Order: sequence, then structure tokens, then C-alpha cells
Amino acid sequence: MTDELELLKKDWQKKEFDIPKLSYEDIHKMIWKKSSSVVKWILIISILEFVLPQFLYFLPGMEDSMQVYKNLGVSRYFLGLSISYYAVVFYFIYQFYLRFKEISVLDNSKNLMRKIIKTRRTVKYYVIFSLAISTLFFFAIIMAIYLNNDITHAFPEIGNRLKDFSPDKLKVTLMISLGIFGLVFIAGLSLFYFLLYGLLLGKLKKNYTELSRLEI
Amino acid sequence: MNKELEHKFVTELQDNQNIVHKVCTLYTNDRDSHNDLFQEITIQLWKAYPKFRGEAKFSTWMYRVALNTAITLYRKNKKRIDTADYESIIFKIKADEYDETEELQLKLMYKAVKQLGDVDKALVFLYLEDKNYTEISDTLGISEVNARVKMNRIKTKLRTILKP
Repeated sequence: MTDELELLKKDWQKKEFDIPKLSYEDIHKMIWKKSSSVVKWILIISILEFVLPQFLYFLPGMEDSMQVYKNLGVSRYFLGLSISYYAVVFYFIYQFYLRFKEISVLDNSKNLMRKIIKTRRTVKYYVIFSLAISTLFFFAIIMAIYLNNDITHAFPEIGNRLKDFSPDKLKVTLMISLGIFGLVFIAGLSLFYFLLYGLLLGKLKKNYTELSRLEI
Repeated sequence: MNKELEHKFVTELQDNQNIVHKVCTLYTNDRDSHNDLFQEITIQLWKAYPKFRGEAKFSTWMYRVALNTAITLYRKNKKRIDTADYESIIFKIKADEYDETEELQLKLMYKAVKQLGDVDKALVFLYLEDKNYTEISDTLGISEVNARVKMNRIKTKLRTILKP
């Protein structure tokens, strides 16, 4: 075997592969092309993950729901929750920035992989945190509805439209539908995140395990 | 200044492009992916170039960036496994004709190397480029002893591929 590998080595070193040589212009053109590396994708997706949830507040109808929170008597908690939420989000963004800056293609392979996985892990924790907050949010609204005694007043539009409904029935219906919506929403998001990162980092993780396996 | 840097970089890469072509040949199976990987490596090399500052030889530095791009940053060669399976079927039948000529032997060896995993390929690549174990362990970030152990395992693996 050793001889065969030596034979291969000799051949390999004199080998000019059957590939047309690239000209100066070819290479020059390439350096301005956009990279499609894993690191770039992580950056793009992470920025989207930080930014997109914030846009929810600009959706039409969000003002109405702020009114609903007021009517339900939870707007005070909502404000407190928002402030702590943003404090944590900024902490995550800062951590992400620190780790992202550490990634360098000049590192050795194992370090490079480890740093990419670490950066990605920061985003993963952020996603888990976001999902937990969303769960808490749905739960809080459902609780608020449950504890509210004047449900038609809290949801004036629905209340007017469904005058024939008894308030109790309305309450239960609202709670159940919110519960189902919340579950679907959170399950859908989790599935999306984990599939996305599985696709993106599957190969990298395999190679990292391979490199780490011997180092005990 | 920037234009000057650009010119220096493109000239150096043009002179050393064979290294990048070799990496692309090992890690891809068709011309399109080859060119695609070449482009990604070029982009990564160019992005890292200002940090290079001539501390090492241009080619030494290229090995690291090119391999890192191929095994870590590049993610498009999904169908690789299918092709490798396909190759191994044809290849194992042909293995009967082993020993016949040096040419054939080399051909089989190349095929066997292409069936290895990403990390194993990187080791073999550096070995074929006549890098010593210190350089191999530096590039991949494993200890020298482990680089040797791994290389021996790869040799065994290649042997089983060649003589099933």
C-alpha cells in the first residue's frame, strides 16, 4: 500500500490536471463575485431571525391588539416583558457579533469549524429564547382572557359580531383557538429553524466530529 | 493601492492555480461544481489576502484557505455520496484487473481516494503534496500523533477499497 501511495504521490505532483488554465481576466472577474459560504448564510439567516420578529409590530391590526391588551388589563406586563425581551435580544446580538468576528478562514480546520458551530449555537439559544417568550406570550393572553370578566368589552369587534354567543362560550372558544394557533405557530417555527440549520450545517458537523474523534 | 493589491493577488493566484484545481478535483465530480468551488475558494482567498502580508509563502497559505473552504465553508456538493456509490460499484468489478499496468493502478487509486470522506481526503491531499506531519497537523488542527494514526487508518481504508 505504501508503495502504491508513493506511486500516486509521484504522479500527483507532476500532474497537470485536465482542466483549462484560468486566465488573469477569469480570476480577476471571480474576486468580485458573491460568496455563498456557510458563514455568509448563517449571517443572513441570523439577521433575519433578529429582525423579522420586530416587524410583527408594524403589521396592520397590531394597534388594535395593543388596545385589546389594554382592555384585558395586561398592557403593563406587556411593557415590562418587552423591555426585558429587548435587553436579552441585544445581549444575544452582541454575543453573536463577538463570535462571528472570531471566524477566520486562516484558522486551522478544526478551530474554524468549532467557531462556526459556536456562533450558530448563540443563534440557537436565541431561537429557543424567542420560542419560549412566544409560548409565554400566548399563555399570558389565554390566562388574561380566562381571568377577564367582561370579555365582550375586551374584544369589542368580536363581541358585537357574536352578540348571540354567551360570554362564557365566547371565552372558551377564544382560549381554545388562541391555544391551537399558538401551538401551530410555535411548532411550525421550531421545525423551520431546526430543518434549516440541519441542512446548512450537517456536513460541517460531520467533519468536525470526524476531526475531534481522535482528540481525547 | 487597492488596484496594486488586486493585481498582485490575481497574478499570484494565477501562478499557483494548480493547487486550487487539485483541491477542486478531489472534492467535486463534475466541471460545473469544480468551477463553482474554484470560485468560492478564490473569493475566500481574496477576502483573507489583506491579512496574509507575506508572512508565509503564498502557496502554504493557499493550502489552508482552499481546504477550509472545501471541507467547511462550501456546502453545495450534496449529491456526492450517490456518485461515490455508483463509482464504487464499477470500480470494485474492475479491481479484478488490478496489477496489470501502472496506469490502471493509478486510475484505481484516484478513484479510491475520491471515495474517502472530506477529512480523510484533506489528509491524503496534504500527504500527496508532500507536506510533513507537522504541517498536516497545523492545517487541520489535530495533533501530529493523531495525524499519523489517521493517515495509517486511511491507508488501511484505501486497501480495503482496492482489494474488497
